[in-house]
This record gives sequence, C-alpha cells and structure tokens, in this order.
Amino acid sequence: MSATPVLRVSALTKRFHGVIALDQVYLDVHAGEIVALIGPSGCGKSTLLRCLTWLEQPDDGFIEVAGKPLGRELTPGGVVRHQSRRQIDALRPQVGIVFQQFNLWPHMTALENVVRPQTVVLGRPRAEAIRRGEELLTRLGLADRMDRHPHALSGGQKQRVAIARALAMDPALMLFDEPTSALDPELVGEVLAVLRSLAEIGMTMLVVTHEIGFAANVADRIAFMDQGRILEEGPARDIIAAPKEPRLRNFIDLVMANRRHDNPGTTIDTTE
Amino acid sequence: MHFDPAVLVDYWPLLLQGAWLTLQVSVAALVMGYAAGIAVALIALMPGWLPGLVTGFYVETLRNIPFIIILFVVYYGLPFWGIRLPATLVGTAALALFASAYYAEIVRAAILALPRGQFESARAIGMSPMSAMWHVVAPQILRALVPPSTNMTLTMMKESAVLSSITVPELTYQSLVVQGNTFAPFEVFAAVASIYWLMAVVIAEISRRLERRVGAVQAEAVSRNRIADRYLSLVARRT
Repeated sequence: MSATPVLRVSALTKRFHGVIALDQVYLDVHAGEIVALIGPSGCGKSTLLRCLTWLEQPDDGFIEVAGKPLGRELTPGGVVRHQSRRQIDALRPQVGIVFQQFNLWPHMTALENVVRPQTVVLGRPRAEAIRRGEELLTRLGLADRMDRHPHALSGGQKQRVAIARALAMDPALMLFDEPTSALDPELVGEVLAVLRSLAEIGMTMLVVTHEIGFAANVADRIAFMDQGRILEEGPARDIIAAPKEPRLRNFIDLVMANRRHDNPGTTIDTTE
Repeated sequence: MHFDPAVLVDYWPLLLQGAWLTLQVSVAALVMGYAAGIAVALIALMPGWLPGLVTGFYVETLRNIPFIIILFVVYYGLPFWGIRLPATLVGTAALALFASAYYAEIVRAAILALPRGQFESARAIGMSPMSAMWHVVAPQILRALVPPSTNMTLTMMKESAVLSSITVPELTYQSLVVQGNTFAPFEVFAAVASIYWLMAVVIAEISRRLERRVGAVQAEAVSRNRIADRYLSLVARRT
C-alpha cells in the first residue's frame, strides 16, 4: 500500500478561454512527504491547487487521492466517466486546503470554524467534534483563543485555525496556497515550525510558494513550474544548488538577486 | 363644503376590515414572494448559462410590466385554462409573483457581495452547495438583506391597493365603497391615507428592530470597522 502515492496527478490540463493554464501536469506526492511547488506568478501553481480541490474543473487528465480518482475516472472499458457532485463532495474532505487569505468564516468562533464542517460534512456528533476541535487548536497553540471570532485573531493565529479546520477532517493530504504571503515577514519562521510539526506527525503536504528560501527550508522535494508545466523536480537541495533547467536557473538567480538587493540580510523591508 | 370626519363614524368597521385584509394579503405575499425570490436567486447563481438566462427572463419580465397589467393577465388569463379561483387568492399570488422578482435581485446581490472565498472554502471542505449557503453564506448576508427587503415590502404593501380593481375587498376597495355611500371623498381618502401611513410606519419599525437584532448578533461576529458600521446601517444607535 505504501507504494500508492497520496496524490497522483497525471496529464492534468486546464484552459481558460483557450489560454492554457495547466499543460499536461504530472506530479506524485508520497505519504509523509512535503513537496514545494515553486515558480513565477501566473505559472499555474494556484490553478493546480484549485483543480486539486475541484474548485476549478480541469479539462483533461486525472487526479488520484490515496488511490481513489477525484472528479473524473477511467472505467475498465477505457471510458472517461465524470463523477457526480456527491461523489466529489465525499472525497473533498480528504484534501485539506489552507487558502492564501485563510477564508475563515467570520460569523463563527475559532472553535466553531473547526467544529461545524465535522458535524455537517462527516456527520460527527457535536460533542466529539468539539473534543477534536479543542484538541487540534490546543496542539496548534490556540487553547486560549478558541472562543474568539476571526477578526479578533492575528494573521498567524487565523492561519492556524484554518489549518485546524482542515486537519479536523482527517485529510490524506494538505494543500497550502502561499502560506507566507499574507503574513508579516517575521512570522515566516512560525509557519515553518507549524508545517514541520505537521510533518512530524506524518502529514503529507503540497505547498505552493514563490519564496525559494522557504521552499528549501520546508520541503523534501521541490517542483518547478513555468507556463503551466512542471519543468523540473527533485530533492530540495539539488534543485536549489544545481538547477538543470535554464528557466529554473533564471528564476532562482532573479529571486536571489532581488533578495540581496532589497533586503540586505534583514527582514526589514527597505524597498522604496 | 367643509371637512366633516363624523360621516365616517358608521363606516370604521368596514375600513378596518379592509385594512386587515390588506395586511393579510401583504404578509402572505411577503412570505410566498420571498420564498420564490430565494429560489430564483439560488437558481440564478447555479453554474452554466441556462439557469441565468431563465431567471433573467423571469426577473426582467416581471420588473418591466406595470403591476396592474400583471394582475389583469393573471386574473383574466387563468380562466382560459379553466382555472377559476377567488379574486383574493389570485390577487395575492400576483402580488407575490411581482415582489419575488425584486426579492430575487436583492438576495442575489447580497450573495454576490460576499467574498467568493467564503463559499469556496465551505465547498472545498466538502459541504454541499446548500449546506454552504445555509451555514456560511446565509448568516453573513442576513443583515444586508433587511433594509432593501423592507423597501420592497413597503412598495408591495402599497401596490396591493391595485387589487381593488379585481374586487379584492382590501382597504382601497372598501374606501371606494364608503366613498360611494357617504359622498365624502376627501374625508374617506384622508382617513385611508392615514391608515396606509400607519401600517407602513409599523412595518418600518419592525424592520428596524429586526436589523438591530440581526446586527447585534453580527456586529459581534463580522469584522468591520466600528465607525464604518455606524454609517453603513440605517439604525440610529443609542451609544
């Protein structure tokens, strides 16, 4: 069983009004792995995440989560069959996503944000859902923030509530969309620590980021994407140290040069 | 000729009966119209081009025809299909139909004003579209719905006067009866005007309390600047 990847993406293609956003994307993520997806903005990273949660319907290709097809499947007869809305919804809790803007529900407390999907989607008894929610929020260091509404939480706290909300569904895979971009630079270390702690308990993660340093720190493997294609992937160290693909080399040079130029060794933003 | 409200003494019961029916018809049309409006708004937001086209046609048809014509079409049209119903029933249904188009637009606009990420995060976690609407969208738009819905309800209540033209014995119909009996049009219509005014004031006050109550729940919850909150609401705050 361990041979089955937690996420298998094959030949995934998505077009927006004829413009190709994802071009035959292949990607495997194995159990317990953290894969960082890097690339310049507009390269299709976020579109890929949206396809993996079926918020965007890919035009072609297949997604498998823990061995089960999501959205579209190949029947034994070789015919592509579209799954029903219910089938897709039933698989969705398996893929936890933490949005860039977190998208917490502002009319609920932090705890309720974590509890409600469990009762509504998984049909868990409320008492059990509360127990699970409290346990997760406590583990993420929010024991004293559970009764607060999102507007009374800091960015980092909101992110951890969003993580707890997704984890409460017992997902096979967690997706992170630019986890560092909506936070102050000094919180990057905190995000890193949270992702590492998730890795320790064996969580499988796909992290979209344009921060190479963050990717190198957090990921086992890095995949580089440009113009809707995954051009190069491999162990994080190799990708940063010895990029083969010229476009990846350019991207890394550009990012490194900017960083040296803009932030000379500090986290204080000195641009303009 | 002088103003003599005494002529109305014998006819108060008739006017009150009319006012009571106006109220009943308006409340029934509000409930039915809002239910239909919500349904139309939800269909309008379904993916694909067909639902939008169909609901767009529904809304634009009802909004671009004078209510009295809608009423006549329904009232005189139904017998063509062999359906004969009491005028009050037909009138109420026509009023609900008319209002539903406006309620649909109010609900649709309120849903669209909510950031898309709210609905999407509920869907991505596995909630069905209806669950996402119920648990995530509806509680957040309730307050925004109150002021425009109140406006429409007041308009509709006043528009119900048109039902007199198909013999529904509501307030305006009764006022015409009383006027015919007393030959005191000014006294009668002045009295009727104040009854309509009073009913509208009561509806507006109910709505104000409703907004304050929904607001009290939501102000706690929704992140919004306190100052902005004060100016964005129709409620005059005491504090």
